[in-house]
This record gives sequence, structure tokens and C-alpha cells, in this order.
Amino acid sequence: MKLNIEGLLVYFPYDYIYPEQYSYMLELKRTLDAKGHGVLEMPSGTGKTISLLSLIVAYQRAFPLDVTKLIYCSRTVPEIEKVVEELRKLMEFYAKETGEANNFLALSLSSRKNLCIHPEVSSLRFGKEVDGKCHSLTASYIRAQRHSNPNLPVCRFYEEFDAVGRQVPLPAGIYNLDDLKDFGRRKGWCPYYLARYAILHANIVVYSYHYLLDPKIADLVSKELAKKSVVVFDEAHNIDNVCIDSMSVNITRRTLDRCQNNVDTLQNTIHKIKETDAAKLREEYRRLVEGLKEANVARETDIYLANPVLPDEVLQEAVPGSIRTAEHFVGFLRRFLEYLKARLRVQHVVQESAPQFLKDIFDKVCIDRKPLRFCAERLQSLLRTLEIADIADFSAVTLISNFATLVSTYSKGFTIIIEPFEDRTPTIANPVLHFSCMDPSIAIKPVFQRFQSVVITSGTLSPLDIYPRILDFRPVTMASFTMTLARTCLCPLIVGRGNDQVALSSKFETREDFAVIRNYGNLLLEMSAVVPDGIVAFFTSYVYMENIVASWYEQGILENIQKNKLIFIETQDAAETSMALEKYQEACENGRGAILLSVARGKVSEGIDFVHHFGRAVIMFGVPYVYTQSRILKARLEYLRDQFQIRENDFLTFDAMRHAAQCVGRAIRGKTDYGLMIFADKRYARSDKRGKLPRWIQEHINDGSLNLTVDEAVQLSKHFLRQMAQPFRQEDQLGLSLLTLEQLQSEEMLQKISQMAHQT
Amino acid sequence: MASLSEEVLLVVKKVRQRKQDGTLYLMAERIAWGPEGKDRFTVSHLYSDIRCQKISPDGKAKIQLQLVLHTGDSTTFHFANESTALKDRDAAKELLQQLLPKFKKKANKELEEKNRMLQEDPVLFQLYKDLVVSQVISAEEFWANRLGGVNNGEPAPYNNKQEVGISGAFLADIRPQTDGCNGLRYNLTADIIESIFRTYPAVKQKYSENVPHNLTEKEFWTRFFQSHYFHRDRINTGSQDIFSECAKQDEKGLKSLVTQGVKNPLVDLLSLEDKTLDEGYGISKALPSTSNANKSVKESSNSAIIKRFNHHSAMVLAAGSRKGDPPTDQASETSSTDGNSRDSDFFQPPLKKVKLQEAIEYEDLQRENTPKTVALNLKKSDRYAHGPVPLQSQQYTTSQDIINSVSYIQQEMTNYKPNLTRVLSSTTATSAIAALSPGGVLMQPVGQQSINQMVPTDIQGELKHLYIAAGELLRHFWSCFPVNTPFLEEKVTKMKTNLERFQMTKLRPFQEKVQRQYLSTNLTGHLEDMFQKAYSKFHIWQTRRMMRKT
Repeated sequence: MKLNIEGLLVYFPYDYIYPEQYSYMLELKRTLDAKGHGVLEMPSGTGKTISLLSLIVAYQRAFPLDVTKLIYCSRTVPEIEKVVEELRKLMEFYAKETGEANNFLALSLSSRKNLCIHPEVSSLRFGKEVDGKCHSLTASYIRAQRHSNPNLPVCRFYEEFDAVGRQVPLPAGIYNLDDLKDFGRRKGWCPYYLARYAILHANIVVYSYHYLLDPKIADLVSKELAKKSVVVFDEAHNIDNVCIDSMSVNITRRTLDRCQNNVDTLQNTIHKIKETDAAKLREEYRRLVEGLKEANVARETDIYLANPVLPDEVLQEAVPGSIRTAEHFVGFLRRFLEYLKARLRVQHVVQESAPQFLKDIFDKVCIDRKPLRFCAERLQSLLRTLEIADIADFSAVTLISNFATLVSTYSKGFTIIIEPFEDRTPTIANPVLHFSCMDPSIAIKPVFQRFQSVVITSGTLSPLDIYPRILDFRPVTMASFTMTLARTCLCPLIVGRGNDQVALSSKFETREDFAVIRNYGNLLLEMSAVVPDGIVAFFTSYVYMENIVASWYEQGILENIQKNKLIFIETQDAAETSMALEKYQEACENGRGAILLSVARGKVSEGIDFVHHFGRAVIMFGVPYVYTQSRILKARLEYLRDQFQIRENDFLTFDAMRHAAQCVGRAIRGKTDYGLMIFADKRYARSDKRGKLPRWIQEHINDGSLNLTVDEAVQLSKHFLRQMAQPFRQEDQLGLSLLTLEQLQSEEMLQKISQMAHQT
Repeated sequence: MASLSEEVLLVVKKVRQRKQDGTLYLMAERIAWGPEGKDRFTVSHLYSDIRCQKISPDGKAKIQLQLVLHTGDSTTFHFANESTALKDRDAAKELLQQLLPKFKKKANKELEEKNRMLQEDPVLFQLYKDLVVSQVISAEEFWANRLGGVNNGEPAPYNNKQEVGISGAFLADIRPQTDGCNGLRYNLTADIIESIFRTYPAVKQKYSENVPHNLTEKEFWTRFFQSHYFHRDRINTGSQDIFSECAKQDEKGLKSLVTQGVKNPLVDLLSLEDKTLDEGYGISKALPSTSNANKSVKESSNSAIIKRFNHHSAMVLAAGSRKGDPPTDQASETSSTDGNSRDSDFFQPPLKKVKLQEAIEYEDLQRENTPKTVALNLKKSDRYAHGPVPLQSQQYTTSQDIINSVSYIQQEMTNYKPNLTRVLSSTTATSAIAALSPGGVLMQPVGQQSINQMVPTDIQGELKHLYIAAGELLRHFWSCFPVNTPFLEEKVTKMKTNLERFQMTKLRPFQEKVQRQYLSTNLTGHLEDMFQKAYSKFHIWQTRRMMRKT
């Protein structure tokens, strides 16, 4: 259908539309009009992606000069592929309606592992191996060497691409990962480099967060993307953690040992080169004296996306004299390394700030702040000069140099914690230096500064106001949409007591209590007898799940559950869990029914959907608080309190509830879907917890279902499931939660919709 | 003694059966009991007829052994020799235990097959009752060409019965009971053993390797339950445990399953992340400890339990579908054996595409795209029910013809002059109209329809059975032609006598019964015809044969 969104003609590739989709598009349009940032929450399964794409594509066509590019970031590879498929659907609809060929170029980008078509390289299993092998075939100096020695191995796809691929732009169309590979095979071009090159002139780019948020990758891939782009972060409820992860560094003794080896290799290579090709080193020296002017010019003229690891001041200066020659720099690295080794030889936990660390390093080994800041840049230059083939081998020394640059650049937002051993095993020495970022805004800041509109969206972003605070930006629109339903297809229940009136809770004091564990077991057992097909149960942590499973096993509860359904359990091994997952789906598919025991914050809870019969009930055992004894977390909480005035408890609850919402939200993937959401902890009944659930879940919790016993919950579930089992047709939804174009245009409905958007 | 050639394996004296003292003999092929002082057996069962044996619990005063036959009957022996009763009973039991399975395999398969066929097919059962139980033909004859399919190995049409899966909790059904003196007793049934074998092929292999050469069945299962294998959470102590190998095999199986990877890309957690953080970056989330040494004993046992559950569920699932879809198994094998990811690449996209499409589908946003069905609106339902009528040569009229004829009729009508002399009288006309209107004499329903109501249902049912039985016999009879072997000759004569016997014993009484009830319609006329046809054919054949002989 064709929609009129405040004067913008939007093609929407379906015959019907959900009211919330319409109002989502309204908000999005306002965000784009204002050229500002937005935070939008809409339940999963209400067609968020297609609404986003329809509106932004329409906007791009209407105002090609205002919005030149859409950068769509999602989290996992399947998500990325899904987005591209939806886009393809939209574009097909455009072609059908307008009758003209589609002139849009949209493509997805992923790591080499998913794009490589070189027969040997692509057969490697791990991403890192693929990257390393690829690099050893395609690095510029390797290829230069091949001129003198044609026997060296070569990647013909890259060569072909390098020879001709850049002259002709990629023809317009929608390219998913497999399409890129097909295209690459047909032309004999490397799909990875083709995609990386093509994103510069593509209208729509779909890739993962890291390409924008991880400075190490963003610097390579996304540096030159146009300023007039709209950036969308989908599934953004965890975006702060992604930011923090990309800026944090851990150094163990093993890292230092490997680093030592790296430095030795560097030293030897320098010696060798000095004997054979001293001119090369002199050339490098000259370049360094001239400084990083080039990069500086680029940034000033606003061509590049800023790199948070490479602060502005560094660009204006030349590399300091003390590390300009290669030998000096290697010597410098050695000294730094020795210092780190000494620091790791501690007997007790040390926590200090970056300035403290800098002062200490100056006192002990006379290393100044300034050369430290140039460390990362200097190492890159040296590695280039020395023509090191396999960069992957030098990951340790790269890590150390990145750490050096970060610690000397940011005096705020980071903390250094040195732990001599793991808390659980105090007898085994395993010293780790955590350099952890506490401020997610550092990594995302360049994105907000550079691009005119950044939209953060997800199914669970409640409470909305916390994201602008922790990411430090000012949104022009913030809205939360609920799911309009013709039948209440979700049934959140808070089970607070066992049948014997024992309060159910996963809190620390009662965690080992047999009565609680038994009652949890009973809940699962009774549910397994009532709920058809699949049940997914989430525990607060892996250790907790192991303990509970063990004692359920001893008490014979699991055996009784097995009489109703098969049991599958997430393990720490991803391959094993994948297998269990597939078997779980198989068991749901063939009607036997199964239970999946899983962990909140685990891979399953984040990336796997349990649509329809794959998840008819989700049980959340306990409140998934993060492990609060961790020092890193404590430091972060302190920082949040001091900098953003967010109280520790508020943040912890927020974090726990967003994970709980993620877990239970896995089961509802649309309006035709239905599922039970069982929160098995009495603490969920409190308003501070409940209030932090997304609105679309919250509004279905009535006061009667706040503190149920197991039996009561089973009764309610039975009732609910019986209702849901009735046939549900399109006509039942029409006019309420599903609109035709005529219905949408009616005065009354428009008014209703505009109210819906203003409610936040 | 009836058969002296039989080898007697065991003789147990002082065994009571029906309050009579006697002696129990276990022979090579049967078990028999004879009362004391007499030299004939009052009880004798072939091993192949025995379904199972049951023994009285240990604590009971009477020490008994019960044999349950396939027919459902049972015979109970009471071992009465005070001093050695228990030993006697156990000896008999042990021997039976070894003997029964041997016979079970070959004999019962057939028997069970027959049994099953009869149970599944009520018509066949009725036929069996009519023909075999009333001794029209013998059981062998009856089965001769029915079982053909089964014995030939090709699955009979009845054979594609759905495989019954395995209960997920079959191990839970083996509830250990304390026997009062520091020991545990497990009750195993054939079903549970079957389940264990199907779920854990490794155990089955062990079983066939060790039983009965090295271990008795009982010892085998005792060890099984004692083994680390059964209690996977316990820490392995002895390597002499015969099941440690099973555990290893399972481990291997699990590993191969894991390395085989998953087919659905949407659940593959390994390829979920696009770009993992490099080592050393990120907030460390409980770095996986590099060595297992610092894992406590409890933890490793916990993870063993988890592994075991995953494995168990996977095996149960696989056991259920193993026979169901061998072709898919094969497909996955071929794609996995050539291990090359290039090839698997070619297999992957279709499934991936489908899954992706499924994932982005919003069925309720789309107009339902099932082809619009039109409700069937029948003006003449009988025409629909009878199907197309053969096209009769009739002349189709064009619209011009119709118009012409209408105008012609109009013309006629205007010129119509009643010929009053040849008109019917009004009374005759009304009676004719009455006879032709519904309910009138001429509008009576046709006689055939009423046969439904005329004949009572029990007679109808009987007639139906007769038809089926007669049809079966006639089928046997006609299948003998052309008679070209001596065997067939013999059969055809036998079948003829069978037919005659059937006519005498079944058809005649029925006819008499029908007559007694004064049902005028000749219900059995057609049956008689069929028999007459068969007889005349037989006579023709016989006279021809005579002529050839002379």
C-alpha cells in the first residue's frame, strides 16, 4: 500500500499495516526532518525493520540530497541477512508499483569468514584464521614481492578485483552475503574487498555494530562514509556493552609472554633489514618527522570518521623523537613491557586511575606520557615498514600498544584493576590487568558527532531515558510503542510462592535453599505437563543453572519432567549448544515437545528466537542481576553515580530487567504468536522492577497475577492456552490491530494513532 | 513316552500343578509336566508358544513359576520340594531364560504378524472366523497367500504402521527398590530393555558380545546399573568396567554430532557473531579457565550431568526418527563425508533462504494468498453425484433455432383450437393428475430402495459376511486356473469341496433362516449364481481332464 506520512509518499510492501507501524514511521520521519537522533522502542514482531526501511528509503528518494545513505547496524549475522531480505521485498514492491527498474544499491558487509570464496582460505573454521591467511595473500608488500618472485601464492580473486573491480561500480541491486559471493564467483572478484569498496557509494549498507563502534575496525572500514547518512542501531538494548567492550583491554601473563616474542621478532627483523635495506628505515623516519599531517587534514575537512583511539591532538604533532627510530621504539616497547610484567607481580588487588598509572610509570621507568600516546600509531607504521606478513601473530604487541595509547589519552572514563588471582581460586596465581572502559559514550561519540541522524531502536529499551544518559547524547525524539492486540496473546505471570508458601527468589541468601530449588522444579514440572510443544527456561547464571540442574537430578525432578518432554541444556560450548538447540527444535517440530534450559545473558538469550511452537512458554527463574562482586562492575557503578547521577541500584535493576525482558520477549515474535511469560521470583512484583519492563509487557500484568503460587499459575496458564488454541483469523484482527488503507485514513483512527505516539 | 528321541535337558521332581504332584521336564523344544506315577504329559507347551515366564517374589511362602502363553492362558507350577524348591525353581527359570529367546525370535515373528494382521483388520478377522474357526478351510490354507508378502520381506500394505517412539523417561521408570538388606532391585521389562538398546546402540553391542558367553543376562544388567555409565555423574573409578567403552563411544558420537554442525543457520551459535573481539579486548566475562584442573569435582560432575541429558535427549529423538527417514540420514551423511566446505556451501543456501524467508514473514500483514475457493452451488445434486453422463447424440440448438421455435409455438398457440370431442372427462383427468402427483400410485418409490428397510440389519450383516467369505473362497478357487501343475490340480479339487462345504454349512442355513422370516426377495440368488459358475467351470475342467486322460 502507499502511505502518506506527513506529506511523504511511503511505499509499504504489504496490504495491511499495524497501527503502531504507522506511528513508528511518523516518529521516525520527525527525527529525520529534525536531523537529530532518536530513541524508539517497539515490540519485536510488530514489523519494526520493514517500517524503518520503508520510511528511510522513501525519504532517500524524496530528498536525495539530505539523506544520501542508510547505515543499518544489527547484531548478528542472521539478523543482518534478515534485514537485507526484507529490503529486497521492499525493493521488489517498488519495482512492481512504479514500474521502473530499481536504481538502489544496497549490500551487506560481513567479515571475511562469511564472504571469502578462496577455496583454501574459506575452508578455515575461525574468523581469525581466515583474516590472517587472507592478509598473508593480499597485503600490499606481499604482492610487491611477487613481482620479483612469481612463485609466491596468490589470491586470484583479489588480484582480479584489484585489476578491474574498482573501475566499474557494482550494478544497482540488493546484495545479501550469498549474492555477493555469487557475484564474486561469476566475475572472479573477491566479494569481501568488493563489498568494502562498494559501501562507499551504496545507498544502503547493512553490517554489524563493530564496523562502526569498534575503533580498530571502524578506522579501516567506515572511516570514509558520508556525513549525510542515517545510522540505525537495531536491537540496541545492549549497545553500551558493545561500546565498552570495544575499548577495554585485558592483559595476562600469557599476553606479555607472547608480546615478548613479538618484540624479539621485531628486533631481529630490524637487524636484518638494516643490513639489506637501510633506506627503507630512513624513509620511514622521514615520514614520521613529517607527522600525521595527512590524517589531520582529512579529519579537518570532515572526510573521516574520528577514531577515538587516535585523539585529535596526536594528529597535529609529529611522533616524538624518542621513539622515532625503529631501534629506539623497540627499546621503548621493551621497557614498557618490563614495567607491565613488574606490575603483574602483585600479591593483592590494585585499583588505580589512568593518571595514577602514568605517574607510576614515569617514576619507575621514566616513560613519558607523550611517547605512550603515539605507541599504537608508531607500531602500525613499523609493521608496515618491516613488511610483516602475518599481522595476526602480532596481536599481542598491538594490544599492548593500543593499551598504551588509550591509557595515556583518556584520564577519565577508564580504570585499571590488577587482580593477582581469580576470586574463586585464590590459590592459583593468574594475574590479570584489566584496563576497562566505564563510559560507553567514548566509543560512540564519533558516531553521534559525525552522522546527522542516529536512531537507536529495539524491542526492549525501557526505561527510555537511561540510554541518552549513559551514551551522552541529546535525542530529538524518544518514543515507546506498544503492541495493539486483538487478543491478549501474551500472558505475563509473576510466580512469587511455591505451593507450600515458600517465597521464590534467586537472591543470594536463599539461593542454596532446597525449598526454593524444589519449588522451582515443581513449577517447571507442572508447566511441562500443561504447555504444548516448547518451553524455554532461563536461569540467572551458568553456575546457578548447573547447581539447580544437579539438585533437580538428585531429587528426581528431571526424571519426572522427562516423562512429559525431552530436556536440552545450554552448555558453555557454543557448538554443543547449537546441536542441542537444533535437536530442541526438532523435538518441538515432531510433536514430542521439549524444554530448553538456558542462561540469561548467554548466547541463546541474545540471538535465538523461539517463534510459535518453539516457545509457548518462557520461564525466568530469578532476576538476572549481573555478578555484583566483580571489581570492574563496582568501578563502573561508581563512575555512573559520579558522572551521570545514576544510582547503583537503579542501574543494576535496569540491567537485570532489560535482560529479563530480552529473555521473555524471545517467545513472542508477532501478533499471531502467543506465549506465557513466567517470572519466577517474588521480587518482580515490586514496582521498581516491574516498572522497568517494557510497556508492552507491563500493561498486561494485572494486579491479580503479581504474587501467584505455582498452582495458581498453572490454572491461569491452562485457561490462557485454551483460549489461545482457538482459531485466530485475519478478520479478527482487522480494524483493531491490523488496518487496511481505508481504515488507516479514517479520522478516528488517525486520532487514535497520534495519541498512541504521544503517550510517552 | 511319546517321543523318545527328544533330549531332556532338565528334570525337576516334586512340582505341583493344579494341586497334583508331578514332574517337570524341560526338553529341547518344549516344556512338559506329568503327574506322578503316570507316563504321559498332561501339560506340554512348545517353547515357541510361551510368551514369558513369571516367578513368585522371593519372600513368598509358595515358590512358583508361571508360564504365560501367547494365547493368554497361563500355567502355574508350584515347586514343592521343601529343601531345594528355590534352587529347583531358579534352575528351571535360568534354563527357560536361555531357551525362550531362541524360539521367540523365529516363531513369534510369524505368529505376531498374523495376530497383528487380524487385530488391525476386522474384515480379515471376520473372514478368519468364518472360514477357519468353522473349519471350512485350514489355517495354513488361509494364511498361505496372505502372509506371502510378509515372508518375502517386502512390506505388506499393513506394515507401514507408525513406529512408536521411546518415552523420554524410560530410565526413570526403572525405579530401584530396596530389597530390605542393603541392596537395590531394578525391575526390567522387555520394553525397557528394548528402549535402552534402541537409545544406546553401544549397550546393545556390549550385550550381544557378552551375553551369554561371558555373563548371564542378570549379571549383565547388574553391572549395567552399577556402572559409571548409568550413573554418569559419579566419578569413574574402575577401568575394568565393560561400559567404560560405551561411555567413550557415546562421547565420540556426541563429538561427531557436534562437529557435524547444525543445518539451520539461524540456530548456529558459532556463526552468529559477525566479528568477535580479538583476544585481550573486552570486559572479561569470567574467562574460561584454560585448564580443567582447577575445576572442582562437583562442577565437573555437574557438567557431566548436563552433557548426559543433552545426549540422552538427542539419542531418544534419534531413536524415534532413525527408521522413519533413512533417506535424509543418507543425504546428511553424503554431505558430511566429503567434509569440504565448498560442497556444503552448495547445499546450504536453499535451506538458509527458506529459513530466512520464514523469519521475515508476516502472515497477517499479507492478504491471504490461498486461491479463493468458490462454494459449490449445485442445482441438480444427483447429476453431480452420478458423474458425467455419456454424451447422447442430440441436436444442439442455436439461439436462432430457439427464437424460431418460440415464434412457431406462439403461432401455433394463436391458432389453437380445442378438439372438444376427444377430450377426457374431468373425473378421469383429476384421477390421472392425482396418480402422477407425489404420493400418487404412479409416483411410488422404486422397489429396490425399500430393500434397505425390508431386510433387518442383522440379516444384512450376515449377508455381507457371507459375501466376503464366499468371495475369499472363490478367489482361492479361481486363482488355481489355469491348472498346470499337480499341486494346483490338488488345490482346485480341494477348493471345490471347500465351496460345497461352505454352501452346505453356511449358505443353506442362511437361506432357511431367510425363508423362515418370510422375506420374499431372493437375497442369495447372486451368491448361488457365483457358486454355480464355479462348479460349471470345475466340471468343464474335470471333463476335459478326463478326456485327456482317456
